[in-house]
Amino acid sequence: MAARGWICTDESAKEMLSRVSAERSLMLLPPLHRVPLRLGNVVEIAGPSPSAKTQILIQAAVYCILPKEWRGVHYGGLEHLVMFIDLDCCFDILCLSQSLKHRLMETSGSGNKVNWEQNDDPWGFGTEEPNIGYDEELFAACMRRFLYIRCYDTFEFLATLKTLRYRLQRARETHGVTAHFLMIDSIGAFYWVDRTSTSLHLESNSRKRLSLQSISETVVEEIRKLLLVHPMLVLATKATILGDTYSTNEVKRTSMKLSSNDPSNLRTVTGGPQKLSYREFMPLVWQSFVTHRILVRAADDDPASSKYQSQSIFLSEWLMPPLNSSDKFIVRDVITCICCYHFGSTHLQIFDTRNQGKKERSSRNLPGIGEEKSRRYLKILKCGSSLTWSSSRSFSKHKLVEHVACDS
Amino acid sequence: MGSLKSLECEYPIIDSDFQNFCASHGIFSVEDILIHDLYMLVAFAEQQSTSERLKQGITQILSIIDGQHQPWLNGMELLEDAQQNKQVLSTGCEGIDMLLQGGLCVGHLTELVGPSSSGKTQICLKVASGVATRYMGGVVFIDTGNSFSPLRIAHFINQIPDTIFKEVKQNILEKVMSQILCHSVFDIFAMLDVVHQLEYSLRSQVQTGADQVRLLIVDSISSLITPILGGSGSHGRALMISAGFLLKKLAHEHNLAVVVTNHMVGGEGGILKPALGESWKSIPHVRLLLSRDPGSSICHMSILKHSYMASGRAARFMI
Repeated sequence: MAARGWICTDESAKEMLSRVSAERSLMLLPPLHRVPLRLGNVVEIAGPSPSAKTQILIQAAVYCILPKEWRGVHYGGLEHLVMFIDLDCCFDILCLSQSLKHRLMETSGSGNKVNWEQNDDPWGFGTEEPNIGYDEELFAACMRRFLYIRCYDTFEFLATLKTLRYRLQRARETHGVTAHFLMIDSIGAFYWVDRTSTSLHLESNSRKRLSLQSISETVVEEIRKLLLVHPMLVLATKATILGDTYSTNEVKRTSMKLSSNDPSNLRTVTGGPQKLSYREFMPLVWQSFVTHRILVRAADDDPASSKYQSQSIFLSEWLMPPLNSSDKFIVRDVITCICCYHFGSTHLQIFDTRNQGKKERSSRNLPGIGEEKSRRYLKILKCGSSLTWSSSRSFSKHKLVEHVACDS
Repeated sequence: MGSLKSLECEYPIIDSDFQNFCASHGIFSVEDILIHDLYMLVAFAEQQSTSERLKQGITQILSIIDGQHQPWLNGMELLEDAQQNKQVLSTGCEGIDMLLQGGLCVGHLTELVGPSSSGKTQICLKVASGVATRYMGGVVFIDTGNSFSPLRIAHFINQIPDTIFKEVKQNILEKVMSQILCHSVFDIFAMLDVVHQLEYSLRSQVQTGADQVRLLIVDSISSLITPILGGSGSHGRALMISAGFLLKKLAHEHNLAVVVTNHMVGGEGGILKPALGESWKSIPHVRLLLSRDPGSSICHMSILKHSYMASGRAARFMI
């Protein structure tokens, strides 16, 4: 009888598919929206410093901690916890709170109680925004769903991972919801320190050595086991610390901005293809654990956007799964909005995260950022006349990097 | 990290039986536990005769490990801490304050990069005098190249329009100068020593009000690190990163602002780039690029990296 019970089916494939797609639904996180992600994926966001990696994490965190609906207003968030492990120790909570406030204000619109106080705003941006309030209770509830820890060395990181399971259980009891995102800021932060750490063990051979390999294996094993019990989306940033061609260009770019604002001057200096040299330095055990990888970097200036001194343009490119396109996104100074631009199409696609649909419109020029308040969060627009295209639209996989680097 | 034997007196559950069981799996210290698979250990413990006691011992070890890391905080607690403790310190120079929207952030590591004689040390001296005067806070100045000049600091202090009476001004001058401590160090280990001692004194004393250290300046950290950064060896970089993390920890836990200076080296195509390489880039919170036209006293400063501001913003000012 026991054997018969073992052989009987639990559920059919159709039932399993519907169950899994309900529990682990696909998520689209701009600017990582090209590839849908689900719980259980491990995404690595790699890029030289500074590129907007932490900003991407902050935007994803805001999406997760927002509620689906609150007092009749639809926010469209996941209403789950975010666990943020800060290995870089460069996280600024004010960024997160400003992004969240901006999102709440935009969505709730006018008619709520006006709570916008001047002393609450450390950067004096109150004059730009219309005077609509945000719900303080909702803000506090959302901020409490963001759990943060910082680790100053590898041992603290390993101790955090070992006790993460119990922490999640306690958080579930306190908040009633579980964590959906696990964010690790800068997985390679202790790389050099781990490489030099060795331990001489003369007593017995069975004692495990403390080395980069053993530490990475432990990290991967702990996260893997955790994902079995608490399925989460893992977002890890990684600073590319080996041999990058962007170090000189970054200084060139900023010194050019200092000198003259003449567009023709900028165009001649920053023209030319930028080859992306990306060298993997993390141990193989981590590389094989990662299921998705995206590369971000700061783009060079183009003349059309040089007048917007308060924003930076970044390029992103999916390496795993390899896509034949590169996105461009802009982070504005108050880090409220990440607008995305897509190189590959001739007509516009406007992607609205609210109704998850795509609409096509005629092409527009670049300076129209932020004009439409209804498209509150995400736009994919064709860049203006400053882009030139190679005539053949058939991108082959081998030429992935070169097409990304085409002349702008 | 303690060995298991040393934990025995405090936690009697970690008795010799438990230690022998752990030793049979190659675990002699808490460090070994961190890289070992605990579920496997529990499974092995199940097979032993004293499984209950062993599992209790493992639970005890886990709670010890739980105390090894920083506490988990939620967003509201972080925000409260940022609003209460992490103020903005004015640098005393209007141009820099405008660029940084207030000045130096407490809890942040700010890096000043620039070619030689671009004004880095002058800015450090000005900031030191400004913080010591305006906030009556202690300043620790770690000087690696004998560039600290008390005369210049006195000059900056006298520039701040305060009182008109000469005796009062002299008193203020003495008081402010006594709050600025200068340490001359010439290698990285001496610097780490000074920083560790500072950390120890901050941790053990309860400092309130006027004497609290508010600012730590290292001028210049690159001259300490560059000699040990050899080609492809990792020891130099590991030391650099450990030093960076120590400074950040000090800044955050004890509410200091830390300023370090860096010089520039030649890169590809003859363009200057900041020294200390790629690994250093992600350590400071804020990186500022300085330059000065030869012969003039007007400096340009631009942002290379900032927590929340776009890089490329620039300002001009005079020191």
